[in-house]
Amino acid sequence: MKHGIFSWVAGSLASLTLVATAHAADLPELRVLTHSSFAVPKPLLAQFEQDAGVKLRITKAGDAGEMLNKLILTRANPIADVVFGIDNALAPKALAADVLDAYRGAATSRAAVAPLPAPLVPVDYGYVTVNFDKSWFAKSGVALPKTLEDLAQPAYAGLLVVQNPATSSPGHAFMLATLGAMGEEKAFDWWARMRANGLKVAKGWSEAYYTDFSRNGGKYPLVVSYATSPAAELFYAKDKPAEPPTGSLSLQGGVYRQVEGVALVKGGAQREAAGKLIEFLRSVPVQQQMQTEMWMYPVEAGVARAEVMRFAPEPAAFHAPADRDMAARDADWVARWTKLVLK
Amino acid sequence: MPKTAAPLAWAAFPLAFLLVVLVAPAARLVAEGWPADGMAWTVVWMPWQDDYLRWRLVWSFLQALGTCAAALVLGVPLAWVLARYEFAGRSLVLRALMLPFVVPTLVAALGVLALMGPHGAVVQLGGPDLQGTAWLLMYGNLFFNLCLVVRAGSDALEQVSASRVAAARTLGATPWRVFRRVEWPAIAPWMMSALCLVFLYCFSGFGLALVLGGQRYATVEVEIYTLVAHELQLEQASVLALWMLVLTAVVALVYATIERRLAAPARADLLPRRRPRGLWQRLFVVGALFVFAVICVLPIVVIAWKALWASGLLPGTESTAWRVLLEEDTLLALWNTVRFSASAVLLATVLGLAHALAARHSLWLRTLAFLPFLMSPVMVAFGLLLLYPSWSGNVWMLVATYALLAYPFVAKAVAAALDSMPVQYLHAARSLGASPWRAFWRVTFPLLLPALRRGMAFAVATALGEFAATLFLSRPEWATLTTLIYQRLGRPGAANLDSALVLASLLMLLTLLAFAFIEHADWREPHHA
Repeated sequence: MKHGIFSWVAGSLASLTLVATAHAADLPELRVLTHSSFAVPKPLLAQFEQDAGVKLRITKAGDAGEMLNKLILTRANPIADVVFGIDNALAPKALAADVLDAYRGAATSRAAVAPLPAPLVPVDYGYVTVNFDKSWFAKSGVALPKTLEDLAQPAYAGLLVVQNPATSSPGHAFMLATLGAMGEEKAFDWWARMRANGLKVAKGWSEAYYTDFSRNGGKYPLVVSYATSPAAELFYAKDKPAEPPTGSLSLQGGVYRQVEGVALVKGGAQREAAGKLIEFLRSVPVQQQMQTEMWMYPVEAGVARAEVMRFAPEPAAFHAPADRDMAARDADWVARWTKLVLK
Repeated sequence: MPKTAAPLAWAAFPLAFLLVVLVAPAARLVAEGWPADGMAWTVVWMPWQDDYLRWRLVWSFLQALGTCAAALVLGVPLAWVLARYEFAGRSLVLRALMLPFVVPTLVAALGVLALMGPHGAVVQLGGPDLQGTAWLLMYGNLFFNLCLVVRAGSDALEQVSASRVAAARTLGATPWRVFRRVEWPAIAPWMMSALCLVFLYCFSGFGLALVLGGQRYATVEVEIYTLVAHELQLEQASVLALWMLVLTAVVALVYATIERRLAAPARADLLPRRRPRGLWQRLFVVGALFVFAVICVLPIVVIAWKALWASGLLPGTESTAWRVLLEEDTLLALWNTVRFSASAVLLATVLGLAHALAARHSLWLRTLAFLPFLMSPVMVAFGLLLLYPSWSGNVWMLVATYALLAYPFVAKAVAAALDSMPVQYLHAARSLGASPWRAFWRVTFPLLLPALRRGMAFAVATALGEFAATLFLSRPEWATLTTLIYQRLGRPGAANLDSALVLASLLMLLTLLAFAFIEHADWREPHHA
């Protein structure tokens, strides 16, 4: 029998060769670091590569906070030329670590619907809010909460699941909203009462939404998610209902506006192409198509909203601590939150 | 293997590999976090003085120990049934056993919660909701780890000398007494090896504890992950990781010592499997299979069942989620999964074989084979990034990290087989004039094959699973099925959940095919010279 171990080894070696020859383009590479939720349609990216004369090398580095830490850790020898996904909650940390370079171009001279401190160039924005399961509230007859204070009352005991601010961007954003609206002492007092009232803490968004939220088999009808999540629920629904099965609440002090941006990485190469990528992310086709890919709103003023986004109305008010407090106190807040809610 | 210097030369490759891919990166990260004025003793003892962190360490230890005990009690009878009895579906059971290994944690949690969560079958039958309890975490640990004990146990039992069992029976020993006095001593080293892996897996367990048990049952590894990835508190993280290393190294060392003392060459007369006879034997088989079904099969069946409903392939269902299988992204991910796993397993096999052959007479080398499981994976992942930033987008680096996590399985399985290998054949071959290489190739290697296959099957499962995929940097063009599943579960909406379930089923199917290939491929036959 000739098809012995040798053919098997040969087959594996062939697969190794295939691994090695996967990238063989002569074009210069533009290294882009993003969080794992980055999604722009492939045809648009291909078009960009052609127009800019570069090969994109996109690297996904986990959650946005994790991505920024990887960037900070490798600052002496940067792993990317341009970074997408640093938001206003992480901006103070990124600026303090001095890992970004200034960029000036057409995109920075146009006004954005939602701003970010330079050198970050805003690309999209969204709102972290409490979402609710419509059928649960219809069945139980419990009224929807009107304030954060309601949630700390016995009637709402054991109904809310949030993400851990130490390990999740939306969890962190939600904590910042409460701090911004109520001030530190009152906010932590609320969190302490929430703990006593059966608050559930999940590691990240996926865990909270897919194992704890009552819509997906969990027991919590209230979950911290995004204002666009109900629109996404409708967009991805099987039986095309007229209304989304979930809704988002604009509780006073429970809404955080998250603005995501792109920036040049300090010490990175390919400056011209990197600039083109920044302009590309602000171009009309990207601003239009990413709405139903990343489920964020476009920051370019004149860009039309996707049809399904009418189920994602923007909350009227949102809260956040002042930037200078963020820079100085954020790590302490997370530590205090952890101690108060988890330990 | 004759006791010469040659086997030690085998060690060069795996040791160099460990140094480059594991030790140097982790040390680099520790150095990064090391304070300029030296580490203060107060910081070193901090984990034991802080109530919260001490409980994390103690809890990690306790739940791992508890899982080991439960896995032993539940796993050995099943291993015995699989090794001694012949029944329809036996080989399928052996393969299905290892499916839990590849299921992404979050998908497994969906399956487990559908059974024991707030709206699960247990609650509907009037039982308690187990979500957020330590019981569910233990169940999850068993779901993922029972296969380690059962596979090692059944392979070991198949090697127990038939004549000794027959002699004991003839002398009137009950089956239980035969097990205790003849079989158990023979399989103990194998079981120790498997339990040690179970312990290490549970001790440094990562995602599962959080999803099934909640934050209360977070392990130390979760703390390290949070400190490194989200807070960049490298000093504290290093201290915790070093304590973990000390604790797990003690376990590994104790194990290696026990294993070496217990090691005894097996006799080469194998016990044939027979059909269960009589009521008690049948009941025993049914009972063991029932345990298997409840712990390893049910959550997977639930996932597959949900996927089937979600797929839209059943008549009367509206969904079109099965179409995800035809998407360009899925096909790319399938191809990536296959080529990365194949490459990683090839590398892991070479590393594992070399390590096992070298470690026969060295306690330290034996212990070192566990190193990839002793070191905090998140420390290694960030260390790699820090030490080799320009390799971060390199596909070889990716394959190397996959292999790193997979190769201890091969090394341990082969080491255990080497310990119990009958020496007569090799001596016969050598005295008949075979060269050492020829004797190895024609005698030792064929005898090692069953263990090698088992090790490789676990290596495949590790490479296909999520550990490697989620920890290290990934590029969209390298997305594997696991990455794709997590991408789907990163967005709201029923279609995303459905697609994730369909993709998870595809992953399990692929795994079954890989196992069938490894265990049936006729690669024992070298070309006849």
